[in-house]
Amino acid sequence: MGTRAAFTQKDHGVSCLAVSNVSRAFGGLRAVDRVSFDIGRGELVGLIGPNGSGKTTLLNILSGHQPAEAGEVRLGDEAIQGLRPERIAARGLQRMFQLTRVFRRMSALDNLMTAGRALGLAHPGALARAGILLEELALSRVSDLDAGQLSGGQQKLLEFGCCFMSPPRIALLDEPFAAVHPAMKETMARFIRAHHADGQTFLVVSHDMPVIVELCPRTICMNAGAVIADGPTRTVLNERSVIEAYLGGAGAA
Amino acid sequence: MDSSARRMALEFRLSLGLLALVAIAPLAIDNPYWLGVLIVSMYFALLAAGWNLLAGYTGQFSMAPACFAMIGAYTTGLLAYHWKIAPSLGIPASILAAGAIGAILGLIVLRLRGPYLALTTLSFAEIMRLAIGNSYDFTRGDLGLNVPGLFESRLACYYAFVAVLLAAQGGLYLLLRSRAGLFLQAIRDDEVAAASRGVDVVLWKTVAFTLSTAASGLAGAMYAHFSQLVSPELGLLSQTGLVICMVVIGGIGSLIGPLAGALLVYVSSEMLREAGGVQLIVFALLVILIARFFREGLWGLARRSLRKTTA
Repeated sequence: MGTRAAFTQKDHGVSCLAVSNVSRAFGGLRAVDRVSFDIGRGELVGLIGPNGSGKTTLLNILSGHQPAEAGEVRLGDEAIQGLRPERIAARGLQRMFQLTRVFRRMSALDNLMTAGRALGLAHPGALARAGILLEELALSRVSDLDAGQLSGGQQKLLEFGCCFMSPPRIALLDEPFAAVHPAMKETMARFIRAHHADGQTFLVVSHDMPVIVELCPRTICMNAGAVIADGPTRTVLNERSVIEAYLGGAGAA
Repeated sequence: MDSSARRMALEFRLSLGLLALVAIAPLAIDNPYWLGVLIVSMYFALLAAGWNLLAGYTGQFSMAPACFAMIGAYTTGLLAYHWKIAPSLGIPASILAAGAIGAILGLIVLRLRGPYLALTTLSFAEIMRLAIGNSYDFTRGDLGLNVPGLFESRLACYYAFVAVLLAAQGGLYLLLRSRAGLFLQAIRDDEVAAASRGVDVVLWKTVAFTLSTAASGLAGAMYAHFSQLVSPELGLLSQTGLVICMVVIGGIGSLIGPLAGALLVYVSSEMLREAGGVQLIVFALLVILIARFFREGLWGLARRSLRKTTA
């Protein structure tokens, strides 16, 4: 742990992911509207907002699955918008999908091996790393089963693990805790806490407010495509605009 | 060694065993007709192995394997017919030509999936067949081309097919054991997820198309020099149908399935020949049953019962 922590030294002053004025419309709907924020190295940031506020579209733009119409995304000191998803992944931005995406007819171990080999690890290195992750995520017993045979929660854990075969510069997690058994949720939260302490940078999309409060020191809230609040989680959750966005209507508070 | 590597090693060893049986078969069979049947079975086995790489391991359901065999056959056939070029140069040229055209087709259909991919490759196959059939001045159309034989003796030809099939099977095993095997299967299961993990989807899909069509081209070229006649009938859709039947019946997405399927289906189709034209109906029904009830084919069934007896 010690050596890796030295490389991924927490330094919130150094930008890991910088998003500036990113926009994307679907017909007349501005799904993402001039979004800007900066995530420093080693930060653990929550991204919240009501359904349809543009969180997943934003994630799709960041990971290269949808083009942005305007704005810039920088990973470290390199502009990445417009690159294909595999290029962005290779540069160290790993992403987990809201609707779980695993390789259903490959074993759990091979799912992890695929991620490791694609990121340039050699076979022995990937195998060793996969073994550690399977252990850490309590999946060792099912490592030989096809991913399609695992429970929904185990599939989420597996996809989660795939993001960490080679420690990413930033991990984007889209609703990692949705419909996951509490015990597995705790496994995942423990993993996030441990790796955050180790210097890993995260952006976590979730509707699960208690988890966000407990995990993320900082939270960004989106509504109708725009960032309406960004700051320490407690402060953001108490902001009038955030409460209104969730409860609806002016003066609801 | 993990479970999938073990499974693949078992499939490979069994396919070597099956090829060994084929290799000693001439000791028991001296009837040239049945030797010919086995040669054609091996031609189909090579086509089936190539198509399985694309459809079974990469998830790209191409409808053009027979078309690329035809392309391979015509490459060496035209070289021999017009310019008297020997098979030793014509066959490698066929591999290159089929692989190059396959790479281009692969790039064209890159963004297509499922039925759209199948229909596009099907149209391509029919266009190629009609273009070759109608270019009378160059290809002699439906008359076909007479090309020189590969060897004097049928037995030498037989062992040439065994050797090529062995090499193809070995190459396939090495490919699938490498990271390429992981990447191709990842693309088959979920292209979006594969790209998100960093797999270069464009590159690996093109590799799969190229290798698969090159194998088809090789099969077609070998067949051309065996039968000494090249005609557009090689590219008939029913030939592709037969290849698909073989792979599905034997077990799609396995190393042994296409090989066993090709031998089984072609040999039994020769046996059924006297019943008259019902072979394809029988095989199509078998494919429907297998696709519905045991998607892993006969090899999947065998593996399941094997597991039961060892457990």
